[in-house]
Amino acid sequence: MFKKYLCKPMVTGLMAIGATGAVAAQAQTIKLVMSPPAVETNRYWNTPGDFALGPSMQGLVGHDAVSGSYDNSGLADSWTHSEDFKEWTFKLKPEAQFHFGWGPVTAADVVHSLALHTGPDTTLNGISQLEGAVAEAIDDHTVTFTLPAPQVDFLFVHGGRGSLVVYSKAQFDAEGLEGYDAMPAGTANLQYVERNVGQGLNFEKVVDHWSGEDANIDRLELIFVSEAATTLAKLLAKEVDIVILPRELQGEALDAGFEAIPSTNASNQTTMLFNGSFLLPGYEGLDETLPWLDIRIREAINRSIDRVTMIDVLYDGRAEILPVFGMDPRHEGYVPELAERFEAEYGYDMDKVKALMDDADYPDSFSNPVIPILSSTLAGNPEFPAMAELMQVFLDEAGFQTEIVEMDWANLGALRTAREAKFFHPMRNLPVKPSAVGIRNYYSAAGAPRNNYEDEVIEGLMTKYMASIDPAEREELAGGIFTRVFEQYAVAPLASISAEVIVNPETVGGWVFPGTTSVGISHFGSIVPAE
Amino acid sequence: MLRFVLTRLSQMLVSLLVITFIVFSLSHLTGSPIDSLLPDDATPQQIASLTEHLGLDRPYYVQYLTFLQNAAVGDFGDSTKWKGSTAAEVVLERLPATLQLGGLAVLISVVAAIPMGVMSAVRRGSIFDRMAGVVALLGQSLPAFWLGIVLMWIFAVILGWFPTSGYGGLTYMILPAVGMAWFQIAALTRLTRSAMLEVLDTEYVKLARIKGVNERQVIWKHAFRNAAIVPITYFGVLAGSLLTGSVVMETVFAWPGTGLLAIDAIRGRDFPVVQSVVLFFAVFYLLANFLVDVLYAIIDPRIRYG
Amino acid sequence: MARKLKFLEHLPFLPIAVLMIVLIVPAFFADMIAPHDPYKAYLRNRMEPPLFFGGTTEFILGTDRLGRDILSRIMHGARYALIISLAGIVLGAIVGTLLGLIAGYMRGHIEALIMRVVDITFALPSILLALALASVSGPSFELVIFVVIFVIWGFFARQVRAETLILRELDFVARARVAGASDFRILYRYILPNIVNTIVVLATLQIGVVIVLEATLSFLGIGIPRPVPAWGLLVADGRQLIVSSWWISFFPGMAILLTVLSVNMLGDSMRDWLDPKLRRV
Repeated sequence: MFKKYLCKPMVTGLMAIGATGAVAAQAQTIKLVMSPPAVETNRYWNTPGDFALGPSMQGLVGHDAVSGSYDNSGLADSWTHSEDFKEWTFKLKPEAQFHFGWGPVTAADVVHSLALHTGPDTTLNGISQLEGAVAEAIDDHTVTFTLPAPQVDFLFVHGGRGSLVVYSKAQFDAEGLEGYDAMPAGTANLQYVERNVGQGLNFEKVVDHWSGEDANIDRLELIFVSEAATTLAKLLAKEVDIVILPRELQGEALDAGFEAIPSTNASNQTTMLFNGSFLLPGYEGLDETLPWLDIRIREAINRSIDRVTMIDVLYDGRAEILPVFGMDPRHEGYVPELAERFEAEYGYDMDKVKALMDDADYPDSFSNPVIPILSSTLAGNPEFPAMAELMQVFLDEAGFQTEIVEMDWANLGALRTAREAKFFHPMRNLPVKPSAVGIRNYYSAAGAPRNNYEDEVIEGLMTKYMASIDPAEREELAGGIFTRVFEQYAVAPLASISAEVIVNPETVGGWVFPGTTSVGISHFGSIVPAE
Repeated sequence: MLRFVLTRLSQMLVSLLVITFIVFSLSHLTGSPIDSLLPDDATPQQIASLTEHLGLDRPYYVQYLTFLQNAAVGDFGDSTKWKGSTAAEVVLERLPATLQLGGLAVLISVVAAIPMGVMSAVRRGSIFDRMAGVVALLGQSLPAFWLGIVLMWIFAVILGWFPTSGYGGLTYMILPAVGMAWFQIAALTRLTRSAMLEVLDTEYVKLARIKGVNERQVIWKHAFRNAAIVPITYFGVLAGSLLTGSVVMETVFAWPGTGLLAIDAIRGRDFPVVQSVVLFFAVFYLLANFLVDVLYAIIDPRIRYG
Repeated sequence: MARKLKFLEHLPFLPIAVLMIVLIVPAFFADMIAPHDPYKAYLRNRMEPPLFFGGTTEFILGTDRLGRDILSRIMHGARYALIISLAGIVLGAIVGTLLGLIAGYMRGHIEALIMRVVDITFALPSILLALALASVSGPSFELVIFVVIFVIWGFFARQVRAETLILRELDFVARARVAGASDFRILYRYILPNIVNTIVVLATLQIGVVIVLEATLSFLGIGIPRPVPAWGLLVADGRQLIVSSWWISFFPGMAILLTVLSVNMLGDSMRDWLDPKLRRV
């Protein structure tokens, strides 16, 4: 049986109050502390996607705060696509207005924004989905995207984790990029006030917002703090109202009477990868000494991880065991049986581990039996070093020879690009994405060079999956790939976690956000101040 | 005198030139910024186009010469992490914060260390002397980041006397400045003490005492004035270590100065900013030491050498 | 003999006792005296408080977030503290002394060149340099040693040069030169013995600098790689839990504090006795 690892009770308390109807009694500023974004800029296309201008800017498609599913709370009222999924047409909301009097949102703004986002200096995660896309303004409020290949998941590009944010063409024509740097006009119910470089960003409420739904708060201050102990100190001293805190520190804040608000849906998946498992026949770059090329070793490693303890240590007990990395109930190819089979096939079982290792004759018949576990520093993933040490504890216990290799994320990136990252390494917390994106990035040669696992069966299914536009068939193909991934122990999936914020209940009454952006938080206008 | 100044100045320029080369090479050793800038699913075309966009495909020496040429006029290129600003703008924008904090730290260390050093010398071997020595040493005996966090917990979270962190007025500066200053106090106290001991031992001071000048005047007017030159020479070193100290304290206290900037820039492989900030640190240090040397030569002409 | 006895009188008892307990004995005998394996994670005993704070005698100073025994880790960490200080300082002292001797004795262009290099090392922000180097090769034991050498060699070079400048003008050196002694012999037989005291005192005083530097490097994520229980790493890893599980960083922090304080006090008394004219910067 697949055991659900239950959330501790205190985190759910606040969610019920958070509906949008509640209005603040008095003027209220909410201060929110987060890690500094990787790139501090007002130009979204120069960031990897961790955009701090989320409170003021929007894409075409929005998300329902509770379910997280796509809805028309963005700039588009409705959309249609051609039968082959190569042509998508969006009807813009005619009432949508840019801030600071830059006028209505039109199709020209969308065309302009696509050009900015796909320019030579773009660094956006997922921008490959827009490669070769052509946007055409049909009329003022209708825009059509023509794609070089079918994209069933095209809405993803326009949603919370997407790659296209709508900037004002009128502002660009009048002021150029400098205008965006100084005072970028967005469309949401909070608007940009100022950026204090190295410190944060301020926003304020738009009075009588075009959407009819004004923000509940008057002012939002995002404060950048990189040291987690400092973030916690700011909360405990009640200097700020909301913080994003590493899991291991959350307990301290909860003990002191602060409360956790999780995203309504799981937001991220975590895993360890057996990188270098390029098992396509004839691939010359394969390093045959890697111990985990033997499926018995991959299974043994998976089974030596006590996931319940792991979730306690790394996520303060508030996460769920993840059966397949990349698979999510909200996306194509979800196979519920895999979750049911998990305990039997991946469960912590030292006897089985010993049997597998004996069967594989580990370490004697391995020329290079040492498992290098990577420990890295990456903003937003403070648990990586602890994760590496914990994995070493589990693997040592099972009798594996291990070593920890420390390396910063950029260097790991370079090795991954060179297909030389021969480590058992953690992955940047995977935001829940359409299945095709996850499969491409991790399990298929289509994601080369930076993938980590390839095999013939998956490749066969993937070719069909990429070409297919029949929903039932796609569902089945993606499911087939996930089943193969599961059965091959292609990775060591760890946990499915929600985005969480810790709030001061004296000042914050509630906040509902679906966990659909890369920073996890969104729907800032719906933060409800406490009575 | 002029010759001395000119010699020191030219030496400084040579050092600076060598430093530019080291700085340039180093930041290129640290790997391509491409890997930290581009997303995980970057395509080869994307990699190639960004490489060209940043000029990273040109030969090494061409990049260095271009760098030197531009650096001479203060142009270090566009920041890759703070898009929309040049590297020099980014550094200049963060500079005042560091200078404010560093200035306060210098002030605190002087105000604490000079009297402590003088009194220790006057009461050599007393309990005060020994205690002062230990207190001064405490600051050097703890890792600065830990000292900073402990100060923050005690004085900001528990007692609530100061804000925990962030950029602001004097109240925001006190904790990080004390953290930075404490590290310096031991050295400055010790220097003052030994300089005072030497001066107190001179005929000049003994004579003043015999003449019946009151003790306070002997210490501060006669002795300290002559001893003060020694701590002054320390300011060159102080300047350098304050900048280094700013890296840690600014990180802990989220103080938006050049130290925090340097860390962010290295982690984000923002070459232009790394180069300008390291060069700035080096120039600042060289300049401070140059001034100290000149000052020293003016006060005590015997010292000229090199 | 009389000289030796006098030295013993001046030896401060307390710092030496502290150093023996915190640094020296654990460094050599950790394997025997540590109650637990420093790498063994008792996952059921995670973050146990120390004895007298609700803990048990099993883990006297408590456990860390993976359930490893803090006391054992500190004891084993002493070995790394000692190795890093010794290796870094010995190498730094050798490099600095050699170059300082050459600069002070040869003078001229060689001196100018060496002193420029010293200037440059002082001017380059070592921490940033270390960060940059670590991002090339990854953090490593060797990198930490290298940074230590880089930071301290200049102090030795400057001090040794200054003293050599004075010594080379003295009569006994001039006599040796007239007698036909080679430069090497003069440096080795006549000058070096006269600056050995300075070097020893300077080296002692640098131990504290090195231990604190190692901790700072760990804070920046470029110290000695895990899972080695280096003191700096222990403090840096536990700093976030300073409220709820304060013991994780507090006890290693105390080990650093006591060691550095003792070493500095020992260095002070050695200076007063061996080399009173040396000023410390």
